[in-house]
Amino acid sequence: MKLSEMIGSFRSDPVGTISQWQDKRFLWILMAGLSLFMVILAHSVFQIWLYMRPCEQCVYIRLAFFAMAFGGILAAIKPSNPGLKIVGYLFAIWGSFKGVLYSIKLNKIHHAAHSDDLFGVQGCSPEPTFPFHLPLDKWSPEWFKPTGDCGYDNPIIPDGAQLSAMQKAITDFYSEGWYLWPPTHFMNMAQCTVITFGVILLALLVAAACWSVTLVRKRQTAAHVETSSYTGKLA
Amino acid sequence: MFKFAKTIIKSFALVALLAGTSFAFTEGTDYVKLAKPIPNAQGTLIKVFSYDCPFCYKYDKKITPNLVPKLPSDLKFRPFHLKTKGKYGVQGSELFAVLLLKDQKAGLSDRDLYTEKSLLKKAKMAYYTAYHDKKERWDAGPDAYLKTGLDAVGMSKAEFDKAKADPKVKALLKEWDQSYDVAKVQGVPGFVVNGKYLVMTKSITSIDGMLKLINELKTK
Repeated sequence: MKLSEMIGSFRSDPVGTISQWQDKRFLWILMAGLSLFMVILAHSVFQIWLYMRPCEQCVYIRLAFFAMAFGGILAAIKPSNPGLKIVGYLFAIWGSFKGVLYSIKLNKIHHAAHSDDLFGVQGCSPEPTFPFHLPLDKWSPEWFKPTGDCGYDNPIIPDGAQLSAMQKAITDFYSEGWYLWPPTHFMNMAQCTVITFGVILLALLVAAACWSVTLVRKRQTAAHVETSSYTGKLA
Repeated sequence: MFKFAKTIIKSFALVALLAGTSFAFTEGTDYVKLAKPIPNAQGTLIKVFSYDCPFCYKYDKKITPNLVPKLPSDLKFRPFHLKTKGKYGVQGSELFAVLLLKDQKAGLSDRDLYTEKSLLKKAKMAYYTAYHDKKERWDAGPDAYLKTGLDAVGMSKAEFDKAKADPKVKALLKEWDQSYDVAKVQGVPGFVVNGKYLVMTKSITSIDGMLKLINELKTK
Protein backbone atom coordinates (compact mmCIF):
# COMPACT_ATOMS: atom_id res chain seq x y z
CA MET A 1 0.00 0.00 0.00
CA LYS A 2 1.23 3.46 -0.87
CA LEU A 3 1.68 6.05 1.80
CA SER A 4 -0.99 8.33 0.32
CA GLU A 5 -3.45 5.44 0.29
CA MET A 6 -2.57 4.62 3.88
CA ILE A 7 -3.24 8.16 4.99
CA GLY A 8 -6.46 8.16 2.99
CA SER A 9 -7.77 4.98 4.57
CA PHE A 10 -6.68 6.15 8.02
CA ARG A 11 -8.69 9.33 7.55
CA SER A 12 -11.83 7.60 6.40
CA ASP A 13 -11.71 4.81 9.00
CA PRO A 14 -9.02 5.25 11.69
CA VAL A 15 -10.20 2.41 13.89
CA GLY A 16 -10.44 -0.06 11.05
CA THR A 17 -7.08 0.98 9.65
CA ILE A 18 -5.26 0.61 12.97
CA SER A 19 -6.95 -2.74 13.38
CA GLN A 20 -5.63 -3.75 9.95
CA TRP A 21 -2.13 -2.61 10.86
CA GLN A 22 -2.01 -4.78 13.95
CA ASP A 23 -3.10 -7.72 11.78
CA LYS A 24 0.15 -7.37 9.84
CA ARG A 25 3.60 -8.43 10.94
CA PHE A 26 5.47 -5.19 10.49
CA LEU A 27 4.57 -3.33 13.70
CA TRP A 28 4.97 -6.42 15.86
CA ILE A 29 8.42 -7.03 14.43
CA LEU A 30 9.25 -3.36 14.84
CA MET A 31 8.32 -3.47 18.55
CA ALA A 32 10.19 -6.73 19.16
CA GLY A 33 13.20 -5.40 17.26
CA LEU A 34 13.24 -2.14 19.17
CA SER A 35 12.96 -3.95 22.53
CA LEU A 36 15.76 -6.36 21.68
CA PHE A 37 17.87 -3.48 20.40
CA MET A 38 17.47 -1.66 23.74
CA VAL A 39 18.48 -4.73 25.78
CA ILE A 40 21.40 -5.64 23.57
CA LEU A 41 22.58 -2.03 23.54
CA ALA A 42 22.44 -1.93 27.34
CA HIS A 43 24.16 -5.27 27.78
CA SER A 44 26.72 -5.50 25.00
CA VAL A 45 27.60 -1.87 24.47
CA PHE A 46 27.10 -0.13 27.78
CA GLN A 47 27.72 -3.00 30.22
CA ILE A 48 30.40 -5.06 28.48
CA TRP A 49 32.17 -2.57 26.25
CA LEU A 50 31.84 0.58 28.35
CA TYR A 51 31.85 -0.98 31.85
CA MET A 52 28.59 0.60 32.98
CA ARG A 53 27.11 -1.75 35.55
CA PRO A 54 23.42 -2.58 35.67
CA CYS A 55 21.50 -1.91 38.87
CA GLU A 56 18.55 -3.76 40.36
CA GLN A 57 15.97 -1.64 38.54
CA CYS A 58 18.03 -1.87 35.35
CA VAL A 59 17.78 -5.67 35.25
CA TYR A 60 14.02 -5.44 35.83
CA ILE A 61 13.83 -3.03 32.91
CA ARG A 62 15.69 -5.60 30.82
CA LEU A 63 13.14 -8.23 31.76
CA ALA A 64 10.33 -5.86 30.72
CA PHE A 65 11.94 -5.35 27.29
CA PHE A 66 12.41 -9.11 26.89
CA ALA A 67 8.73 -9.66 27.69
CA MET A 68 7.79 -7.15 24.99
CA ALA A 69 10.16 -8.72 22.48
CA PHE A 70 8.71 -12.15 23.26
CA GLY A 71 5.14 -10.87 22.88
CA GLY A 72 6.02 -9.18 19.60
CA ILE A 73 7.68 -12.29 18.16
CA LEU A 74 4.77 -14.46 19.26
CA ALA A 75 2.20 -12.22 17.58
CA ALA A 76 4.38 -11.81 14.49
CA ILE A 77 4.37 -15.58 13.86
CA LYS A 78 0.80 -15.20 12.59
CA PRO A 79 -0.84 -11.89 13.46
CA SER A 80 -4.18 -13.01 12.08
CA ASN A 81 -4.32 -15.81 14.67
CA PRO A 82 -6.30 -14.39 17.61
CA GLY A 83 -4.81 -16.81 20.16
CA LEU A 84 -1.21 -15.94 19.37
CA LYS A 85 -2.09 -12.28 19.20
CA ILE A 86 -3.84 -12.21 22.58
CA VAL A 87 -0.85 -13.87 24.26
CA GLY A 88 1.41 -11.47 22.35
CA TYR A 89 -0.60 -8.52 23.59
CA LEU A 90 -0.54 -9.79 27.19
CA PHE A 91 3.24 -10.11 27.23
CA ALA A 92 3.81 -6.80 25.48
CA ILE A 93 1.34 -4.84 27.60
CA TRP A 94 2.59 -6.41 30.79
CA GLY A 95 6.19 -5.67 29.81
CA SER A 96 5.60 -2.06 28.83
CA PHE A 97 3.40 -1.39 31.87
CA LYS A 98 5.93 -2.86 34.30
CA GLY A 99 8.65 -1.07 32.38
CA VAL A 100 6.97 2.26 33.02
CA LEU A 101 6.74 1.47 36.76
CA TYR A 102 10.35 0.27 37.05
CA SER A 103 11.57 3.35 35.18
CA ILE A 104 9.59 5.74 37.35
CA LYS A 105 11.04 4.08 40.43
CA LEU A 106 14.56 4.28 39.02
CA ASN A 107 14.05 7.93 38.18
CA LYS A 108 12.99 8.65 41.78
CA ILE A 109 16.07 6.86 43.08
CA HIS A 110 18.21 8.71 40.57
CA HIS A 111 16.81 11.98 41.83
CA ALA A 112 17.44 11.04 45.47
CA ALA A 113 20.94 9.83 44.70
CA HIS A 114 21.83 13.11 43.07
CA SER A 115 20.25 15.43 45.60
CA ASP A 116 19.78 15.68 49.35
CA ASP A 117 16.15 14.69 49.15
CA LEU A 118 16.66 11.19 50.52
CA PHE A 119 13.29 10.29 51.90
CA GLY A 120 10.74 8.09 50.23
CA VAL A 121 13.16 5.89 48.32
CA GLN A 122 15.77 3.30 49.07
CA GLY A 123 18.91 2.22 47.34
CA CYS A 124 18.72 -1.08 45.61
CA SER A 125 19.37 -4.63 46.59
CA PRO A 126 22.09 -6.82 45.10
CA GLU A 127 19.57 -9.68 45.18
CA PRO A 128 16.80 -8.99 42.70
CA THR A 129 13.34 -10.49 43.06
CA PHE A 130 11.86 -11.22 39.66
CA PRO A 131 8.18 -11.89 38.95
CA PHE A 132 7.11 -15.41 39.91
CA HIS A 133 10.43 -15.63 41.80
CA LEU A 134 12.19 -16.66 38.60
CA PRO A 135 15.90 -17.03 39.46
CA LEU A 136 16.96 -15.16 36.33
CA ASP A 137 20.06 -13.76 38.02
CA LYS A 138 21.21 -17.31 38.73
CA TRP A 139 20.39 -18.59 35.26
CA SER A 140 22.03 -15.71 33.47
CA PRO A 141 24.11 -13.54 35.77
CA GLU A 142 25.62 -11.57 32.93
CA TRP A 143 22.21 -10.32 31.87
CA PHE A 144 20.26 -10.25 35.11
CA LYS A 145 22.64 -9.97 38.06
CA PRO A 146 22.76 -6.39 39.33
CA THR A 147 26.31 -5.26 39.93
CA GLY A 148 25.76 -1.52 40.02
CA ASP A 149 24.00 0.93 42.28
CA CYS A 150 20.66 2.45 41.37
CA GLY A 151 21.06 6.02 40.22
CA TYR A 152 24.74 5.58 39.39
CA ASP A 153 25.52 4.30 35.94
CA ASN A 154 28.89 5.86 35.20
CA PRO A 155 31.55 3.52 33.76
CA ILE A 156 33.72 1.75 36.34
CA ILE A 157 36.81 0.61 34.51
CA PRO A 158 38.52 -2.41 36.09
CA ASP A 159 42.25 -2.44 36.77
CA GLY A 160 44.46 -3.34 33.94
CA ALA A 161 41.78 -2.84 31.30
CA GLN A 162 43.40 -1.56 28.13
CA LEU A 163 40.98 0.87 26.59
CA SER A 164 41.01 1.62 22.90
CA ALA A 165 40.99 5.29 21.92
CA MET A 166 37.31 5.00 21.11
CA GLN A 167 36.46 3.28 24.41
CA LYS A 168 38.41 5.90 26.28
CA ALA A 169 36.60 8.72 24.50
CA ILE A 170 33.14 7.24 25.08
CA THR A 171 33.74 6.25 28.71
CA ASP A 172 34.96 9.77 29.35
CA PHE A 173 31.85 11.11 27.64
CA TYR A 174 29.68 9.09 30.05
CA SER A 175 31.87 9.60 33.11
CA GLU A 176 29.02 11.30 34.99
CA GLY A 177 26.60 8.53 34.11
CA TRP A 178 24.26 7.71 31.30
CA TYR A 179 22.37 10.67 29.89
CA LEU A 180 20.89 11.10 26.45
CA TRP A 181 23.21 14.07 26.16
CA PRO A 182 25.81 13.70 28.94
CA PRO A 183 27.43 17.15 28.83
CA THR A 184 24.24 18.85 29.98
CA HIS A 185 22.83 15.88 31.97
CA PHE A 186 19.83 15.98 29.66
CA MET A 187 17.43 13.03 30.19
CA ASN A 188 18.77 10.24 32.37
CA MET A 189 18.37 6.58 31.47
CA ALA A 190 15.18 6.17 33.51
CA GLN A 191 13.51 9.13 31.83
CA CYS A 192 14.40 7.78 28.40
CA THR A 193 13.07 4.31 29.16
CA VAL A 194 9.89 5.65 30.73
CA ILE A 195 9.18 7.47 27.44
CA THR A 196 10.01 4.40 25.35
CA PHE A 197 7.83 2.10 27.46
CA GLY A 198 5.08 4.71 27.69
CA VAL A 199 4.86 5.30 23.94
CA ILE A 200 4.80 1.56 23.22
CA LEU A 201 2.22 0.94 25.95
CA LEU A 202 -0.02 3.65 24.52
CA ALA A 203 0.34 2.26 21.00
CA LEU A 204 -0.46 -1.26 22.22
CA LEU A 205 -3.55 -0.12 24.09
CA VAL A 206 -4.82 1.85 21.10
CA ALA A 207 -4.13 -1.06 18.73
CA ALA A 208 -5.82 -3.56 21.06
CA ALA A 209 -8.82 -1.27 21.49
CA CYS A 210 -9.21 -0.77 17.73
CA TRP A 211 -8.94 -4.50 17.18
CA SER A 212 -11.67 -5.22 19.75
CA VAL A 213 -13.93 -2.51 18.30
CA THR A 214 -13.51 -3.99 14.82
CA LEU A 215 -14.26 -7.47 16.12
CA VAL A 216 -17.45 -6.24 17.78
CA ARG A 217 -18.42 -4.35 14.62
CA LYS A 218 -17.85 -7.42 12.47
CA ARG A 219 -19.97 -9.53 14.76
CA GLN A 220 -22.74 -6.97 14.67
CA THR A 221 -22.66 -6.75 10.88
CA ALA A 222 -22.66 -10.52 10.65
CA ALA A 223 -25.65 -10.69 12.97
CA HIS A 224 -27.34 -7.97 10.96
CA VAL A 225 -26.72 -9.78 7.67
CA GLU A 226 -28.01 -12.98 9.21
CA THR A 227 -31.23 -11.37 10.44
CA SER A 228 -31.79 -9.53 7.17
CA SER A 229 -31.24 -12.66 5.12
CA TYR A 230 -33.59 -14.50 7.49
CA THR A 231 -36.28 -11.84 7.16
CA GLY A 232 -35.59 -11.76 3.42
CA LYS A 233 -36.33 -15.45 3.17
CA LEU A 234 -39.55 -15.00 5.03
CA ALA A 235 -40.67 -12.33 2.67
CA MET B 1 -29.65 17.35 75.01
CA PHE B 2 -27.43 15.15 77.12
CA LYS B 3 -27.88 12.34 74.64
CA PHE B 4 -26.86 14.63 71.82
CA ALA B 5 -23.64 15.62 73.59
CA LYS B 6 -22.92 11.99 74.23
CA THR B 7 -23.29 11.16 70.55
CA ILE B 8 -20.92 13.95 69.64
CA ILE B 9 -18.33 12.81 72.16
CA LYS B 10 -18.70 9.25 70.91
CA SER B 11 -18.18 10.24 67.30
CA PHE B 12 -15.15 12.33 68.23
CA ALA B 13 -13.71 9.38 70.08
CA LEU B 14 -14.31 7.20 67.04
CA VAL B 15 -12.58 9.69 64.74
CA ALA B 16 -9.65 9.91 67.13
CA LEU B 17 -9.42 6.13 67.24
CA LEU B 18 -9.47 5.87 63.45
CA ALA B 19 -6.89 8.63 63.13
CA GLY B 20 -4.76 6.84 65.69
CA THR B 21 -4.86 3.54 63.89
CA SER B 22 -4.18 5.13 60.52
CA PHE B 23 -0.91 6.48 61.90
CA ALA B 24 0.17 3.10 63.20
CA PHE B 25 2.93 1.36 61.29
CA THR B 26 2.26 -1.73 59.27
CA GLU B 27 4.36 -4.77 58.62
CA GLY B 28 5.32 -5.10 54.97
CA THR B 29 5.23 -1.38 54.18
CA ASP B 30 6.99 0.30 57.10
CA TYR B 31 9.05 -2.63 58.26
CA VAL B 32 9.58 -6.31 57.63
CA LYS B 33 10.30 -9.14 59.98
CA LEU B 34 13.62 -10.76 59.13
CA ALA B 35 13.35 -14.39 58.10
CA LYS B 36 16.65 -15.02 59.91
CA PRO B 37 16.81 -12.79 62.99
CA ILE B 38 20.18 -11.65 64.32
CA PRO B 39 20.83 -13.40 67.63
CA ASN B 40 21.77 -11.53 70.83
CA ALA B 41 20.47 -8.28 69.42
CA GLN B 42 17.72 -7.43 71.90
CA GLY B 43 17.81 -3.75 72.73
CA THR B 44 19.85 -2.69 69.70
CA LEU B 45 19.50 -0.68 66.54
CA ILE B 46 21.84 -2.24 64.00
CA LYS B 47 22.80 -0.26 60.95
CA VAL B 48 24.16 -2.30 58.05
CA PHE B 49 26.24 -0.18 55.70
CA SER B 50 28.95 -0.37 53.05
CA TYR B 51 31.60 2.11 51.98
CA ASP B 52 30.60 1.28 48.40
CA CYS B 53 27.00 2.48 48.69
CA PRO B 54 25.91 5.97 47.73
CA PHE B 55 22.82 5.91 49.92
CA CYS B 56 24.91 4.90 52.96
CA TYR B 57 27.07 7.96 52.38
CA LYS B 58 24.02 10.17 52.12
CA TYR B 59 22.48 8.66 55.25
CA ASP B 60 25.75 9.03 57.14
CA LYS B 61 25.92 12.68 56.18
CA LYS B 62 22.33 13.75 56.69
CA ILE B 63 20.32 11.23 58.67
CA THR B 64 22.17 8.85 60.98
CA PRO B 65 24.15 11.58 62.83
CA ASN B 66 20.85 13.28 63.67
CA LEU B 67 19.09 10.05 64.50
CA VAL B 68 21.55 8.36 66.81
CA PRO B 69 21.57 11.02 69.58
CA LYS B 70 17.77 10.95 69.69
CA LEU B 71 17.42 7.20 70.01
CA PRO B 72 15.60 5.89 73.10
CA SER B 73 18.07 5.45 75.93
CA ASP B 74 17.50 1.70 76.20
CA LEU B 75 18.44 1.11 72.59
CA LYS B 76 22.09 0.59 71.75
CA PHE B 77 23.34 1.70 68.34
CA ARG B 78 25.53 -0.79 66.52
CA PRO B 79 27.10 -0.30 63.07
CA PHE B 80 27.66 -3.44 60.95
CA HIS B 81 29.80 -3.20 57.84
CA LEU B 82 28.80 -5.37 54.88
CA LYS B 83 31.84 -7.17 53.49
CA THR B 84 30.19 -8.61 50.38
CA LYS B 85 29.67 -5.27 48.66
CA GLY B 86 32.47 -3.40 46.97
CA LYS B 87 35.82 -4.66 45.79
CA TYR B 88 37.47 -4.06 49.16
CA GLY B 89 34.49 -4.93 51.36
CA VAL B 90 36.55 -7.44 53.33
CA GLN B 91 39.42 -5.03 54.01
CA GLY B 92 36.94 -2.29 54.85
CA SER B 93 35.22 -4.52 57.40
CA GLU B 94 38.51 -5.43 59.05
CA LEU B 95 39.59 -1.84 59.40
CA PHE B 96 36.18 -0.64 60.61
CA ALA B 97 36.04 -3.46 63.18
CA VAL B 98 39.50 -2.56 64.49
CA LEU B 99 38.56 1.10 64.72
CA LEU B 100 35.18 0.48 66.37
CA LEU B 101 36.84 -1.54 69.12
CA LYS B 102 39.49 1.15 69.47
CA ASP B 103 36.75 3.77 69.84
CA GLN B 104 35.11 1.67 72.55
CA LYS B 105 38.42 1.20 74.32
CA ALA B 106 38.90 4.95 74.28
CA GLY B 107 35.64 5.25 76.20
CA LEU B 108 33.37 6.34 73.37
CA SER B 109 29.78 5.22 73.76
CA ASP B 110 27.55 4.14 70.91
CA ARG B 111 26.13 7.69 70.84
CA ASP B 112 29.60 9.11 70.19
CA LEU B 113 30.16 7.20 66.96
CA TYR B 114 29.09 10.19 64.91
CA THR B 115 31.23 12.72 66.74
CA GLU B 116 34.60 13.97 65.64
CA LYS B 117 36.26 11.85 68.32
CA SER B 118 35.36 8.61 66.58
CA LEU B 119 38.08 6.96 64.52
CA LEU B 120 35.47 4.82 62.85
CA LYS B 121 33.76 7.94 61.59
CA LYS B 122 37.02 9.44 60.37
CA ALA B 123 37.94 6.38 58.33
CA LYS B 124 34.41 5.88 57.05
CA MET B 125 34.16 9.47 55.84
CA ALA B 126 37.59 9.22 54.22
CA TYR B 127 36.39 6.22 52.21
CA TYR B 128 33.08 7.81 51.31
CA THR B 129 34.66 10.98 49.98
CA ALA B 130 37.45 9.11 48.18
CA TYR B 131 35.10 6.63 46.55
CA HIS B 132 32.00 8.68 45.86
CA ASP B 133 33.28 12.22 45.48
CA LYS B 134 36.78 11.75 44.08
CA LYS B 135 35.96 8.48 42.27
CA GLU B 136 39.03 6.77 43.73
CA ARG B 137 39.00 3.04 42.88
CA TRP B 138 42.31 1.94 44.46
CA ASP B 139 43.49 0.15 41.34
CA ALA B 140 46.88 -0.49 42.98
CA GLY B 141 45.27 -3.08 45.29
CA PRO B 142 44.14 -3.67 48.88
CA ASP B 143 47.12 -1.90 50.45
CA ALA B 144 46.28 1.28 48.57
CA TYR B 145 42.72 0.95 49.80
CA LEU B 146 43.81 0.43 53.42
CA LYS B 147 46.16 3.41 53.24
CA THR B 148 43.23 5.81 52.70
CA GLY B 149 41.60 4.75 55.98
CA LEU B 150 44.81 4.30 57.96
CA ASP B 151 46.05 7.75 56.96
CA ALA B 152 42.74 9.30 57.99
CA VAL B 153 43.11 7.96 61.54
CA GLY B 154 46.91 8.08 61.76
CA MET B 155 47.45 4.37 62.18
CA SER B 156 50.36 2.40 60.76
CA LYS B 157 49.93 -0.73 58.69
CA ALA B 158 51.92 -2.73 61.28
CA GLU B 159 49.67 -1.50 64.06
CA PHE B 160 46.61 -2.44 62.04
CA ASP B 161 47.92 -5.92 61.24
CA LYS B 162 48.55 -6.51 64.93
CA ALA B 163 45.12 -5.23 65.94
CA LYS B 164 43.45 -7.31 63.27
CA ALA B 165 44.67 -10.50 64.89
CA ASP B 166 42.81 -9.70 68.12
CA PRO B 167 40.14 -12.36 68.80
CA LYS B 168 37.71 -9.57 69.68
CA VAL B 169 38.05 -8.19 66.16
CA LYS B 170 37.52 -11.64 64.73
CA ALA B 171 34.40 -12.14 66.85
CA LEU B 172 33.00 -8.81 65.74
CA LEU B 173 33.66 -9.61 62.08
CA LYS B 174 31.88 -12.91 62.53
CA GLU B 175 28.86 -11.05 63.86
CA TRP B 176 29.04 -8.62 60.93
CA ASP B 177 28.82 -11.55 58.51
CA GLN B 178 25.10 -11.56 59.28
CA SER B 179 24.86 -8.26 57.42
CA TYR B 180 24.37 -10.03 54.13
CA ASP B 181 21.02 -11.53 55.09
CA VAL B 182 19.82 -8.06 56.04
CA ALA B 183 21.25 -6.36 52.95
CA LYS B 184 19.66 -8.74 50.50
CA VAL B 185 16.14 -7.77 51.58
CA GLN B 186 16.15 -4.19 50.34
CA GLY B 187 19.78 -3.18 50.00
CA VAL B 188 21.83 -0.91 52.22
CA PRO B 189 21.70 1.05 54.44
CA GLY B 190 19.57 -1.29 56.51
CA PHE B 191 18.29 -0.48 60.00
CA VAL B 192 17.32 -3.43 62.21
CA VAL B 193 15.57 -3.10 65.57
CA ASN B 194 16.15 -5.83 68.16
CA GLY B 195 17.74 -7.98 65.46
CA LYS B 196 14.26 -8.78 64.16
CA TYR B 197 12.60 -5.85 62.43
CA LEU B 198 14.07 -4.25 59.34
CA VAL B 199 12.95 -0.69 58.65
CA MET B 200 11.75 -0.20 55.06
CA THR B 201 13.86 2.75 54.06
CA LYS B 202 11.49 3.90 51.34
CA SER B 203 8.64 4.52 53.82
CA ILE B 204 10.75 6.89 55.89
CA THR B 205 9.66 10.47 55.30
CA SER B 206 11.43 12.21 58.19
CA ILE B 207 13.87 11.57 61.01
CA ASP B 208 11.07 11.98 63.56
CA GLY B 209 8.94 9.48 61.69
CA MET B 210 11.84 7.06 61.69
CA LEU B 211 12.29 7.54 65.46
CA LYS B 212 8.60 6.84 66.04
CA LEU B 213 8.83 3.65 64.04
CA ILE B 214 11.98 2.56 65.87
CA ASN B 215 10.27 3.25 69.20
CA GLU B 216 7.29 1.17 68.22
CA LEU B 217 9.39 -1.73 66.95
CA LYS B 218 11.54 -1.65 70.08
CA THR B 219 8.60 -2.67 72.27
CA LYS B 220 7.38 -5.40 69.92
